[in-house]
Amino acid sequence: MQKKILVVITAIVVIVAITSAGVWQITQQPASSPSPTPTQTATPLASTTPSPDARPVRIGLVAGYQLAEGQDMDRAAKLAVEEINAAGGVYVAEWNTKVPIELIIADTGKDTAGETVGPITRAVVEDKVDLLIGGYTSAGTLAGQVVAIENRVPFIITGASSNLVTRRGPQGNFGGLAEDDARRINDAEGMSYMFHYCTTTSDYSTTVVNFFAETMKPLIDSTYHFAASRPLRLALIYRNDAFGKGVVADTKNLIITNNLPIEIVAERSYQTTATTFQTDLTVIKDAKPDAVYVVDFIANTAEIIKEGRKDVGLNTVYIAVECCEDPQFYTLLGEYGDGVLLESKFASYAGPPFYLPAIETYVANYKAKYNTLPGMMGADTYDAFYIAKEAIERAGTLDKAAIRDAIEQINMPQMLIMTKTGTIQFSTGVNYHEISPVTFVEQLTYNATLQEARPKIVYPSAVPVVGSIKQAEFVLPPGYQPGSP
Amino acid sequence: MTRFIKLFNLSRLYSRRFIFVIAGLVIIAALPLIIGSEYVISEVLAPMLIFAIYASSWNLLAFSGQGSLGHAAFLGIGGFTSALLAIKLGVPPLLGLFLGGLFSAAIGFLIGLTCVRLKAWFLGMVTFGFSVISLTLVSQFDSVIGGIMGFRTPLIVPRGVLFYYFTFAVAAASIFIIYLIMKSKLGLAFKAIRENELEAKMTGINTARYRLVAFILSTFFAGLAGGLYAQYIRYIDVSIFSPHFSFLPLMMAVIGGLGTLSGPLIGSAIIVSIDAYLPRIDHLLQGLLGSLFPAVSNVGPPIRMMLLGIILLVVVIFAPKGIYSVIDKAYAHLLNKRAAGKQ
Amino acid sequence: MITPSGLAETLLWGVANGCIYILLATGLSIIFGVMKLVNFAHGQLLMIGAYLAFTTSVILGVNSYLAILVAMVGVAIIGVAVERLTFRKVLGTEKLNEIFVSLGLIYIFENAAVLLWGNKSAQIPSSINGILSLAGISISYDRLAAIGIVVVILLSIVFLMKRTKIGLAMQATSQKSDAAKLMGINIEKVYVFTFALGAALAGAAGALYGIIFPFSPTLGALPTIKAFAIIILGGLGSIPGAVIGGLLYGIAETTAGYLLGGIWPDAIAFVLLIAVLIIKPTGLFGGKGE
Repeated sequence: MQKKILVVITAIVVIVAITSAGVWQITQQPASSPSPTPTQTATPLASTTPSPDARPVRIGLVAGYQLAEGQDMDRAAKLAVEEINAAGGVYVAEWNTKVPIELIIADTGKDTAGETVGPITRAVVEDKVDLLIGGYTSAGTLAGQVVAIENRVPFIITGASSNLVTRRGPQGNFGGLAEDDARRINDAEGMSYMFHYCTTTSDYSTTVVNFFAETMKPLIDSTYHFAASRPLRLALIYRNDAFGKGVVADTKNLIITNNLPIEIVAERSYQTTATTFQTDLTVIKDAKPDAVYVVDFIANTAEIIKEGRKDVGLNTVYIAVECCEDPQFYTLLGEYGDGVLLESKFASYAGPPFYLPAIETYVANYKAKYNTLPGMMGADTYDAFYIAKEAIERAGTLDKAAIRDAIEQINMPQMLIMTKTGTIQFSTGVNYHEISPVTFVEQLTYNATLQEARPKIVYPSAVPVVGSIKQAEFVLPPGYQPGSP
Repeated sequence: MTRFIKLFNLSRLYSRRFIFVIAGLVIIAALPLIIGSEYVISEVLAPMLIFAIYASSWNLLAFSGQGSLGHAAFLGIGGFTSALLAIKLGVPPLLGLFLGGLFSAAIGFLIGLTCVRLKAWFLGMVTFGFSVISLTLVSQFDSVIGGIMGFRTPLIVPRGVLFYYFTFAVAAASIFIIYLIMKSKLGLAFKAIRENELEAKMTGINTARYRLVAFILSTFFAGLAGGLYAQYIRYIDVSIFSPHFSFLPLMMAVIGGLGTLSGPLIGSAIIVSIDAYLPRIDHLLQGLLGSLFPAVSNVGPPIRMMLLGIILLVVVIFAPKGIYSVIDKAYAHLLNKRAAGKQ
Repeated sequence: MITPSGLAETLLWGVANGCIYILLATGLSIIFGVMKLVNFAHGQLLMIGAYLAFTTSVILGVNSYLAILVAMVGVAIIGVAVERLTFRKVLGTEKLNEIFVSLGLIYIFENAAVLLWGNKSAQIPSSINGILSLAGISISYDRLAAIGIVVVILLSIVFLMKRTKIGLAMQATSQKSDAAKLMGINIEKVYVFTFALGAALAGAAGALYGIIFPFSPTLGALPTIKAFAIIILGGLGSIPGAVIGGLLYGIAETTAGYLLGGIWPDAIAFVLLIAVLIIKPTGLFGGKGE
């Protein structure tokens, strides 16, 4: 027994000794945070020969490969990299040569908070990427972006819908987060490396509520002789996660702040694992709404609309969110897509002809390479690679601070995503490092030969720079029943 | 009873075993000094240690003949409790870590009350159901907890080598305590229950009470691991309750060697390594097999996940005592050979 | 707002959803009854069944209701392979081993499906369209068809168990496998047949599921766990118990969703299950525990 105790004590002593030795070793080393070296170290070379230091630009793609959306991002990224490299690559002035892009993949699985940190750390620390692009879920991006913030790696976020991904630092006034909110990040310099090239939950909701107030309310008022004072009766059905709650909160805020003639008559949320929604739809039907705003991803949105029309007999106007702009959505909906509305920012199905020539080429190239139409998620990612190229060429170096400055000052023509200025520019101030995307509403019409519905843009009639984008008038779907008077 | 005698015979080897254990600890402690990579230290070695605690907690439950398919509930409860205590009440994070474990154990006690009478499948069901219920409750009270969007956790020590040593200390202490439990009278009772509950009952062991104790102990360590996990990710959200986190400790314990002390450690090392290193060969796999499976843009991730399943099946069918037993046998074989050579 | 018609519809949908659960649970229950084995990857067989039916009806253009048969046969064959290659090797060893094997199978099936069919959602186009409306309550014909198909399949199973030689052999084995062996019943053959039958039911459930709901490879462990909850509610190894349990479970789920909100159905069903287990650890109608 004594011997045993002796051995145990020895063991503990050894562990403690080694642990403290390790700690001592670390504390001896100076805190090795990557010191932000002064920029513009690039010395212009007089000769025209390429520098021997030249190496490919390493761009990390943060995408969840276990999600269909992540694979769309992957395909779009590969397409962009192929195009850029085929055209010679990215010109780096410091090296006096063009270098290709090397795509480093940070596979984040299902892109949950627990899955993003490891792959992003690997890309940043091991593979020493010059830049990160991607990020899909808000929670995953909020967790994983910290690695990029600390290591001062520019990150063009192309997926997360929460505006916190760029606003939770001091520049964005902490995105309205309370003083003691654990999501705040007090690192102004680190946060300045974050860029949000994506629509946010408030972008979706603005278009949706404006559409209801400006287009749909007048139409039902005149069709059913409702008094002008009667507000449009809107019902919300949403997945109970950061995305669903974000959209719903923004929708409610917008209605109140802009004093819009919209009344929320029902509100139902459900667990993200739900597969059937009849009971929620029944409650909504009993509230007699004029329209239903469905906030979910592809499969559930399609199922909600189908069950609503087929099982519950809720014949109303359904509006879905832009993440449903994907081949699967049209396939799953089938004939039940007739008359459905879709808020979107990238209408790969509403053409040809498309409202932007760039989409024409992108859709054709994507289809030729992958034999399927592109989804919405890849479009931002594709653009982001060109933004990265432009920024590096402006910076003339792969110094990360210089690239950050270049992205901040970027001003290039819009690509696949329309913006209010027609150019890609990142904002400063409260809406920190965001773009101002144009979103629109499409209405689907069933096409019997395709056996799928196809969309046409119905709202707004015109957008800045591009001009008229409207392709059809909004009509009430066949069999439409308005809410209670 | 023969097994007990065998166990006592083994006690003579304690000293030799301890040399091995100490050598192992020395190596683990020295790893960061050998491996310079920040990535390997904070993204491979640290999670290995955290999952070693988590898998050991599952293993302890299995040691008493019980199983759980919902251990993620306790991982999550520990993680959320420790983080929320620090944020909302200003409790020092280090204290919060242990309080998280204790709270998880308290919930484990309540769940355990219903579970102790249940056998393998029922228990699996109820525990799985409990993880679903936990997720629902955390979602329901989101305005207080904020788990849906998630939040950053206040750190005890900064990320990197320091965090590695902190994790190492907690893991070493936890596993040492688990070792003491397994070797104590309590452990013998667990073992007796596992091997034959009826017999154990007849020898006067209050099986229900012992199973409850095992449940509480196991959930304590699961909660502790949850707190550490939140420290490691530095963020926590409801995804911690996902079934994958319930299945991980089970796979680690089984692959490593169920009911042995080092099994969960081996299993954790294997699975974390697969996650950390196999993505490296994704592009090779895609080049080789990509054209066969046009439905996915990268065949690597599903093949990797499939590999986990295949390893689990192979281990359960061909080496039911886990990889530990294979190593043990190989070592014994080697010793015998050497002994034979000397003669 | 709770309305009588809403409540009536909720109950009806509970029954309709319960039907698919019943099919899944019956398969699980038959396997358990005869082999005393729980296959936690049963839900993955459902998923494979859905994909087989999907491929048959979408790519080969077969009627979606005929595709159910293809799914049943296909999944039964997979079931035979699974039984012979995996479960048979651990049968009779520690009970936990079956859970481990199932878990391995879950990972293998899910990711094999991802490789073959991709990570996106799919749905089988139903060949019956339209809605039946009666007294303010409406239900679509494909859900009614699902109820009908489940009834037909269950009646066939009862016939098989009571009137055929293999069914009687299964019953004998389920009661006393040693005695059955002595009576000259080839236990291994019975086991293979039982597992194939259970798998075929999962395949049928999958095809029906795929007609009614969109599905993807990552269906997860939830369907199996639900089916298992049902056979616990109804008593292990009993087919009538599985039917009653399935209906109860389906109704509990939809009613919880209707009254408490959409985030509750999964949780409330488990609360029900745990409550039953506390009161009666062998299940609501179960006579003997295992």
